[in-house]
Amino acid sequence: MIDTIVNALVGLLGEDWRAGLEYITNGKHMAWYASFKFTLIAAVAGAFFAVIFGLLGAAAKQSKFAPLRWIGSFYVNIVRGVPDVLFFIFFPLAFEQTVEYFFSRARCTAEEIANNAGSWPPCDAAQWYLSGNDYLILACVSLGLVYGAFAANVIHGAMISVPKGQLEAAQAYGFTEKQVFWRFKVRQMWVYALPGLSNVWMLLLKATSLLSLLQIADIVLWADRLGAPNYLARAGLVHPDWRWKYYLALFIFYIIMAMISERVFRALQNRASRGMVTVN
Amino acid sequence: MDWLLDNAFVQDIITLARPATFNLYFALISIPLGFPFAMLLALGKNSGNRLISWLSRAYIYAFRGSPLFIQFFMFYSFALSLNRTLWKPMGIDDIVLHPLFLGPLVLVLNTSAYAAEIFYGALKTVPKGEIEAARAMGMSKWQEFWSVTWPNTIRLAWPAYTNEVVFLFHATVLVYFTLPVINEQKDLMNKAGELFEKDYNVFLHFSVAALYFIVISMMIFFVFGLVHKYLTRHLKKEETPKFRFNPKYMR
Repeated sequence: MIDTIVNALVGLLGEDWRAGLEYITNGKHMAWYASFKFTLIAAVAGAFFAVIFGLLGAAAKQSKFAPLRWIGSFYVNIVRGVPDVLFFIFFPLAFEQTVEYFFSRARCTAEEIANNAGSWPPCDAAQWYLSGNDYLILACVSLGLVYGAFAANVIHGAMISVPKGQLEAAQAYGFTEKQVFWRFKVRQMWVYALPGLSNVWMLLLKATSLLSLLQIADIVLWADRLGAPNYLARAGLVHPDWRWKYYLALFIFYIIMAMISERVFRALQNRASRGMVTVN
Repeated sequence: MDWLLDNAFVQDIITLARPATFNLYFALISIPLGFPFAMLLALGKNSGNRLISWLSRAYIYAFRGSPLFIQFFMFYSFALSLNRTLWKPMGIDDIVLHPLFLGPLVLVLNTSAYAAEIFYGALKTVPKGEIEAARAMGMSKWQEFWSVTWPNTIRLAWPAYTNEVVFLFHATVLVYFTLPVINEQKDLMNKAGELFEKDYNVFLHFSVAALYFIVISMMIFFVFGLVHKYLTRHLKKEETPKFRFNPKYMR
């Protein structure tokens, strides 16, 4: 398949392009292109988790039960007050250690734990080995947790902007409080939340570049590998340090993604505000 | 006193005090340099000259639309590739490739794009009446800018700019994730990571690092809040409701 595309392009551009085209379609480059899926999966799954955590956080923030309100405010303020990178690294490690703690309770003997004080895990049996895919899931959840806090703030604000009259009308029709919350407040608030959520999505999209910090072979890691000075004993210096070219490609990739997202959110906003009186 | 110093939490606070100064250094260099550059970009975006306006727009869009993490890698590897032809012969390779120089440089480029967007938004919302009043008074373009447009822009942009400064402070974390760490010049995340690798106590070390970030962020909010108060001192204060203790644990 790829060969035919390459041949077609060579026919179009001339022979001079053949070497270049063959170079950027070799095995390593194909692995780089394939690794874009991690970024896209992390962005979509992260956004999914962020909306869920955002809804939960916003619901907690306006709960009738004070401790739940405190938890909601604590979550939103702490996560937003700390750099996303810190949380992004902290959460998977903390999660792994918590699981390993329960493993060690079940699998390690008391002696082993006493002997291994000050190091982790307490015994080899408690070690939890994570595969690349497990790290990807953890990364998605931690992206969701971090940007869920931002989303919670946006959703909380949007819920407040839902006209009171609509909720009162629902109550007057005999809906229970839970029904009013889920069927009216949550359904009506999207119009007000969309501009803020689009900002959160942009932040999340940019944060997907951090996947390599969690040992995922993502686009950044591949760009670094491919661009590093390439010396082969057989062929001599294949190319000098080309990393900036690969990073420039990623730079442009993210800008294009931002442009596409902007378009999509504009369309969503238009759709969500059908039938509403809007300014502009 | 010894029991206090033996406490692992207190020890962590002491160990991380020096690394925190590196984060502070990056922020303190980048903020004053980014501010005028951002203002220029905002004016450029607002300019009537189509070329200047387009260039400023493109710059702001590019730097806001791509991750800082990639920008750091891009500029560092670009500087590296120019090393042999440019920096080495000029004898400035030690300075140019040093994270204490390159870090603030990229941070300035990045933060000025974000701040420019904020300033541009404020420029657009400067009260029309005040500009008309300035013209009616016979002010020149320059006078109009300095005595009406600029003060209003800063005042309107200040709360959002405060947020951007806090985000910039948070972004200083990325410097040493992308640029080489030289000797003991470690910032909060590096040091916390190093301490973590010694005893695997993730909850303690990262919490202390987080505490530093939260406390410094709050200090930034406090100082910028004072400036905001100063900027709006002539405006009518909103009636602040008197605080009364009336807890509603169950609403």
